[in-house]
Amino acid sequence: MATRTIRKDKQPSRVSPRAAGIASLFIPGLGQILARETRRGLLLFGSIVSIIGLTAWRIYELAHLEPGPLAMLTKAVQRRPVFLIPLLVGIVALWLWSAWDAYQQAHPERRGGGGVFILVIVLFFTLGWQIGEIDLYKLVTELPDAWRPLSQVLWPWPAAIERQEEVLSAGADILVPCDENPPPPPEEVPGQPYLVATPTCGELSTLDENNQIIPGTTLHLVGRGFAPNTETKIWWVDPLGNEFVVRQGGEYIVFETDETGSFEMDLVMPYRLIPPSAAGPQIHRVEARQVVGTGPARPSEPLRISIARMIETIFLGMMATIFGILFSIPISFLAAKNLMSGSPVTLVIYYITRTILNIVRSIEPLIWAIIAVVVVGLGPFAGILALTIHSIAALGKLYSEAIESIDPGPIEAIQATGANRLQTIVYAVIPQMIPPFVSFSIYRWDINVRMSTVIGLVGGGGIGFVLIQYIKLLDYRAAGIAVWFIAITVAILDYVSAEIRQRFV
Amino acid sequence: MLEVKHLTKIYEDGTVALRDVSFTVEDGEFLVIIGLSGSGKSTLLRCINRLIEPTEGQIIWNGVDITAADPVQLRQIRRQIGMIFQQFNLVKRSTVLTNVLAGRLGYVNPWASLLHRFPKQDVEMAMRALERVGIADQAHKRADELSGGQQQRVGIARALMQQPKMILADEPVASLDPVLAHSILGYLEQLNQEEGITVLCSLHYLDLVQRYATRVIGLRDGRIVYRGTREDIRRMTDEEFKEIYGEEAVRVSVGPREGGM
Ligand SMILES: Nc1ncnc2c1ncn2[C@@H]1O[C@H](COP(=O)(O)OP(=O)(O)OP(=O)(O)O)[C@@H](O)[C@H]1O
Ligand SMILES: [Mg+2]
Repeated sequence: MATRTIRKDKQPSRVSPRAAGIASLFIPGLGQILARETRRGLLLFGSIVSIIGLTAWRIYELAHLEPGPLAMLTKAVQRRPVFLIPLLVGIVALWLWSAWDAYQQAHPERRGGGGVFILVIVLFFTLGWQIGEIDLYKLVTELPDAWRPLSQVLWPWPAAIERQEEVLSAGADILVPCDENPPPPPEEVPGQPYLVATPTCGELSTLDENNQIIPGTTLHLVGRGFAPNTETKIWWVDPLGNEFVVRQGGEYIVFETDETGSFEMDLVMPYRLIPPSAAGPQIHRVEARQVVGTGPARPSEPLRISIARMIETIFLGMMATIFGILFSIPISFLAAKNLMSGSPVTLVIYYITRTILNIVRSIEPLIWAIIAVVVVGLGPFAGILALTIHSIAALGKLYSEAIESIDPGPIEAIQATGANRLQTIVYAVIPQMIPPFVSFSIYRWDINVRMSTVIGLVGGGGIGFVLIQYIKLLDYRAAGIAVWFIAITVAILDYVSAEIRQRFV
Repeated sequence: MLEVKHLTKIYEDGTVALRDVSFTVEDGEFLVIIGLSGSGKSTLLRCINRLIEPTEGQIIWNGVDITAADPVQLRQIRRQIGMIFQQFNLVKRSTVLTNVLAGRLGYVNPWASLLHRFPKQDVEMAMRALERVGIADQAHKRADELSGGQQQRVGIARALMQQPKMILADEPVASLDPVLAHSILGYLEQLNQEEGITVLCSLHYLDLVQRYATRVIGLRDGRIVYRGTREDIRRMTDEEFKEIYGEEAVRVSVGPREGGM
């Protein structure tokens, strides 16, 4: 059979297949170890122990208020049957399979493939799904709600420009209740907005004893001379000077004027409680109001802040890169084995330098930024410090590897011409060092600008700092502007660094 | 005249690469050094211009003790000795012209040379050297854009710039095919015959040794085990050659190129 592999090079099992199977039934993996498949046995034992341990932990998390283990299990299975039932069945199956596997392994022909480990992976996956709180249902149902903020982030530009704002309004007096002398329509002034209501008197809506609305008089409103195609609201001003936007059928009256700046509509006079002191006829007022931007367009505050912070970000990345290069060059010599293997002392320096570089490099720049903020406070300097530290470590390693991989042949050849030490460095060493140095430095600059866009999230200055604030204020348009600037800058940078690299390498 | 007296080289790790090697090379000779891989050929050639410091012994060239020279004297000696390498050892990212001009580094003002400034006559000389080896049209290419044979010619042009009295060539044709090998050795032979430049060259192929050597020394384990004149070599059979050289010896199947230079 093709699936059956016979490995004659191995020593035979210490025990019979049956004994191995029974051993694994009591302690999973023991049978495999007895069958001289120690690694397989340990792996199986470790897997089963971890799976059972993790399952117990999840059951405890789901039902730790229950009194006994059995009650906890029942409760947990009730709460998450789709997760726990297959998992528990899988664990039993795995246990049995491991016994069967031990039986197979102890067989003289050592049968049995990796199927048991596929089951192990499936069980870990099931656990991971639950531990990771993966919830596809939530993803699907809550996506539509996220659409509005998302769309603002994706297209934030309406908020990039602002104008001086001015309220444009016109109104008409309404007499309540009607008598023989209704107020005259307002005078029309050319160039000014104008509103006529017919009639100019009537009854307000009132409530009957069942709190049902009895509609008041319907007014026909005609407006002219407003800003065209602009959002307009109808306001009501009572004799006491209270102003409110009129509702009709529960909705605020908000509409757009037509292209000539006119509108025409019917309005039922609203409900209004009039204090008893105000007896007799009263003059109310209906007004149409628009908020219009006048004067030249100018960049909005989020746009101005984003630009300023983006410049700060680019310089933050640049300063960190320059400092990183300056400090890492001397350090890279200490970390180059070919230069430092001369004596035991230098070799010790080499190992110490290497170790420090590796430790510093393995700590993420964001964590360095948190530390730097503690030391120098919020702001770009903290970001520069954090990125510089990480750059020194990363570049120091890359540079030292470039030094180590230098070709001694040209150095020998230049020395053989009678050149002095300095000439040898200029003619044989530097030309070999330039391409890797340039390419690593650009690569680092690239990383640093990218990192400087997020280093602000932890207070390290730059655009990330305002981005996180806009998100916390739910100002998604402004956040969108910041995100766009990050994207544009990174794209331009990608292009520029690719170009430079091509020139030099 | 080059006199090598009781030369011994022991590397730091204890490897004895040369043991009490003595020989003399008259001016104008084409001395070929043969020997198995690891027999010490490269070590011997590098000891002569002290790219490797000899452990013991003396090297005297035209009455000057190279082994006793201080750094300044050593540079003056080195600039008169051209060197050609198996791996060409060009600075790959520099232009062909810069590589050739580097041959003048021992002569020019060191400070000007750090800024890559060379006297006009040196640049002209470099172009003539490139013309001589037939690649003047490649002068402004990067060295690593050239083929192996072309790179070795750049190596020769660089050595020519030193106006050398002696050329050390460490397996100059080992990375080239037989046709190119004859072309490169042809240049060396021409320099040897027409300008009287002494050539010390290590070689692998019996045909090449027979064709170009005026004298031969054979090394094995750092000792000289064979000394022969041109006539001895011409008479040598493959079997004798293999005895010194071991089974690695190969005969080149292609004959010398007609009008090779
Ligand atoms: N830098 C070094 N340190 C220690 N031992 C070395 C060093 N260079 C060469 N050797 C040893 O010295 C001996 C002679 O080496 P050398 O390179 O001179 O031989 P070669 O005849 O040129 O060989 P090949 O034909 O392979 O180039 C060898 O055993 C080699 O391993
Ligand atoms: Mg060699």
